[in-house]
Amino acid sequence: MFKISILLFTIINIYANEPISPIPLDSGIDIEKAKLGKKLFFDTILSKDNSTACVSCHDVSQGGADSNTVSTGFGGKKGNIQSPTVFNARYNFKQFWNGRVDTLAQQASGPLNNPVEHNMNPKIIEKRLNNSKIYKKLFSKIYNISNIKYRYVIDAIVEFENGLITPNSKFDRYLRGELQLTSDEKNGYKLFKQYGCITCHNGINIGSNSFQKMGTFIEYDTTANYPDKKAITNKKIHHNVFKVPTLRNINLTAPYFHDGVAKTLSEAINIMAKHNLGVELSKKEVSDLKAFLLTLEGEKPTILESN
Amino acid sequence: MVQRDFTRNHKAVLISTNNLAHHQSKLTYLILQNSIYTYQNQDKIKDKIKELLDEYKVLKNSTLLKEETYNNINQEIIKLKKKIDINIENIEDYLMFNARIKNSLLFLTRHVENVEFLEIKNNEIFIKANYILKHFYDAKRIQDLDYLDKDEFLLHSDSKDKKVQDFIKKFNLHSNFIMKNFIDYINSVNSVLNNNIYDSIIDITTQFSKLALKDFEALDTFAFILFMIFIISLATIIYLLYSSIQKNHILQITSDSLQHSLTYDQLTDLYNRKALENKLDIIDKPTILLINIDGFKNINDIYGNQVGDDLLIKTANLIKSELSFIDKLDIFRLGGDEFGVLFENIDDKEILEIANSLEKVISKHNFIFKDLKLNISVSIVSNNIYPILENADLTLKLLKQDHTKRVMRYTDDLNLKKSVEENMKTVDIIKNAIKDDRIIPYFQPIVNLKTLKIEKYEALVRLKLDDGTILPPYKFLETSKKSSQYYEITEIMFNKVIQTAKEYPQYRFSLNISMIDILNDKLIAILYDCFDKNLATVSRIDIELLESEFLEDTKKIQKFIKKVNSYGSKILIDDFGTGYSNFSYFSELDIDLVKIDGSIVSEIVDDKKKLHILKTIHQFTNGMKMTNVAEYVESREIALILQEVGVEYAQGYYFSQPVTKPLENCEVTI
Repeated sequence: MFKISILLFTIINIYANEPISPIPLDSGIDIEKAKLGKKLFFDTILSKDNSTACVSCHDVSQGGADSNTVSTGFGGKKGNIQSPTVFNARYNFKQFWNGRVDTLAQQASGPLNNPVEHNMNPKIIEKRLNNSKIYKKLFSKIYNISNIKYRYVIDAIVEFENGLITPNSKFDRYLRGELQLTSDEKNGYKLFKQYGCITCHNGINIGSNSFQKMGTFIEYDTTANYPDKKAITNKKIHHNVFKVPTLRNINLTAPYFHDGVAKTLSEAINIMAKHNLGVELSKKEVSDLKAFLLTLEGEKPTILESN
Repeated sequence: MVQRDFTRNHKAVLISTNNLAHHQSKLTYLILQNSIYTYQNQDKIKDKIKELLDEYKVLKNSTLLKEETYNNINQEIIKLKKKIDINIENIEDYLMFNARIKNSLLFLTRHVENVEFLEIKNNEIFIKANYILKHFYDAKRIQDLDYLDKDEFLLHSDSKDKKVQDFIKKFNLHSNFIMKNFIDYINSVNSVLNNNIYDSIIDITTQFSKLALKDFEALDTFAFILFMIFIISLATIIYLLYSSIQKNHILQITSDSLQHSLTYDQLTDLYNRKALENKLDIIDKPTILLINIDGFKNINDIYGNQVGDDLLIKTANLIKSELSFIDKLDIFRLGGDEFGVLFENIDDKEILEIANSLEKVISKHNFIFKDLKLNISVSIVSNNIYPILENADLTLKLLKQDHTKRVMRYTDDLNLKKSVEENMKTVDIIKNAIKDDRIIPYFQPIVNLKTLKIEKYEALVRLKLDDGTILPPYKFLETSKKSSQYYEITEIMFNKVIQTAKEYPQYRFSLNISMIDILNDKLIAILYDCFDKNLATVSRIDIELLESEFLEDTKKIQKFIKKVNSYGSKILIDDFGTGYSNFSYFSELDIDLVKIDGSIVSEIVDDKKKLHILKTIHQFTNGMKMTNVAEYVESREIALILQEVGVEYAQGYYFSQPVTKPLENCEVTI
């Protein structure tokens, strides 16, 4: 823990001026608690028909997201928006596409209680888990409780999610001065800054710290009804306004955008440039940008390996 | 503790509001930074917002603000939260709008940078483009909507050059975009930067401080009150302490004065008996002089207490002045009529000299009171043998009995104490004897010398001890006179003698009564009572009068004699010829018999003078129709002479000792 704080301190001081900051190496989680959370994360017991687990839509083998445009939940029902990645989600300033909740704990209750996702409620969850000897034993060991309560279930899951960080991406290591980027990657980063991608995609999670309009420059699809910020504030200016997604591990989380329209990175880059920046990119530029984006892939979370 | 808690809570609130203001300030700064810099890590803004909201939670939950006094503050804080929330929304919107303006400006800048071809061929466009760009930047800096109120921020060209048209197209796209979004951008900047959250927080802080001040004042007042209570308690304690010291002092003075009055006689300005006793304990080889005024009671009775008191004062002063030449002495007033002088280490001879001279001076001194002149006499006793005071007192008692002396010194030879002890023993003996009926009359026959027959018996009081020893009257009678025992003995004697008289009707019996007894009404009452109860026998009871010096009221005695005579009793004068015997008796009192004292009778064989006296008495008494009894007849010769002289009766050992019962045989022989 002390090492981490030193490291963080150094990082903060050195890279205080860079708009992107690296992920710390140690997640600082309670391993045993996180293991329990992992078990729950993977357990379909937490869905009404035992079909769906958290991992179903936030697939840790698919960058923590879903390779489908929308996910499938309880009773084969479809979701209404692209599943965002669970990796590094702890660094999001808010959760969900329209940032309607602040914390991971608040987010977890969403899918659990959503009729088209897990279709559960706290009582049933408690009942099911209390009927399981293994879970009773685990919860008793970790929390020293004899009766499993909903809030402890959430707490364990969140602890696991806190462990889903992907440090040591190439770009992070470049930021720490551990290696050099290729000229393409470097150029990509330069372009990233020049064209203003960085205006929205900055911070530790390279995004996820502000709301922006999808289709800032040129209006994006206005017909569809996605859960955007307007769904919360009911203001016209908030139409198609979403939380800026993270670009970390972006090469793993296709398809892209809230509607999952872009299937490849190049597609996504081009749509972004046209709709949000009002820029036409050359092929070389797209390629360099892509090269840069690829450096944002980090190591698999260590918690996934441990048993 | 209350104050400490309050101070802590108060501080907590102030710290919270301070932090809140700081965070808000910093947030505004970050926004400003964001609007100026091209690149910014927006995590800072997001983190600062989180800090702000967290600090707000802390403030909202402050312990102090839960109190009613701060209700208004709570309302203000809720209003503040609304402002903060609005501000955060505004920031989110600002970030949206700012991104647009920033990116497009950035685009235009680069766009204009990368056109070398324009610089050469279509200079106007290049210049115009720069001009427009400059205006956009100015507008952004000036933040004035009016600044962009021109239509001239689009490029035109008639050039057929594709590159130029392409340039213009792209340029105008962004230029329009900027203009379209500029209002929203400016407004959002204004709304974010012109929030008055910071001022509101300061207001709240000020309000809070005002209210807290009241609380502090209350606490201060409370503390002040406590402090005052403390001071007052302290003052009270000091006052009580002081007052108790004062009281103690007064107590001491009172105690001293009491002590003084205990040992001090106010009248004469001398110390009293108590002081003398105390002094006796202290000094070495003490000698005391007791000076007692003779007959002081009479002076008081005759001349009054005022004179009496005055006399005491004058006497005290006289003693003081007479003894003033002596160093180590103290003068005390010891009693109603008694003074004491205490000497230390004085010679026996010297003390006697002093005593004698003092006595003479006092007796010679004329005490003058207004229109009265008095002389007094004193009895003075000296003593230096322990116990000082007691021995002196006893000696004084003894001295009082001796009318010849005025000054006496105590010696152990006086055996005073023994007499006191004996006295006390005697009292006890008498008491027991009375109780156990051991007061017994003994009877001595009185013989008619002519008929040689016993005609009378003299009743003599005896006391029989437990062990059978018979005590004669001189051993107990005087002592009995000091108390009511005398009356009891007298009554017993009367009754027993009368009783005996009843049993022996052939004889007459005589009882001894001293003249002073006759003056005692109580005693006489007992006598009359006895007589009244035994009228028949009483005619054979005679009274033998014993004389003493207090014979003033002869009338009373004559009255007695008359009464007694009426019962049939005869009166005898006892021990005639000695002591106070006086022929004047016969002129005033009706006497029947005269008993000639033994001191005369016993000597008539050898002493011619005494024989002559005897004859004279006999002649004289016969001449007044009285008969004689000769006492202490102890020999035959005496009896023969008496017969010859013609004395009628005789009493004495020769005939019989006193016996317990009258003799059966009334005949005697010479």
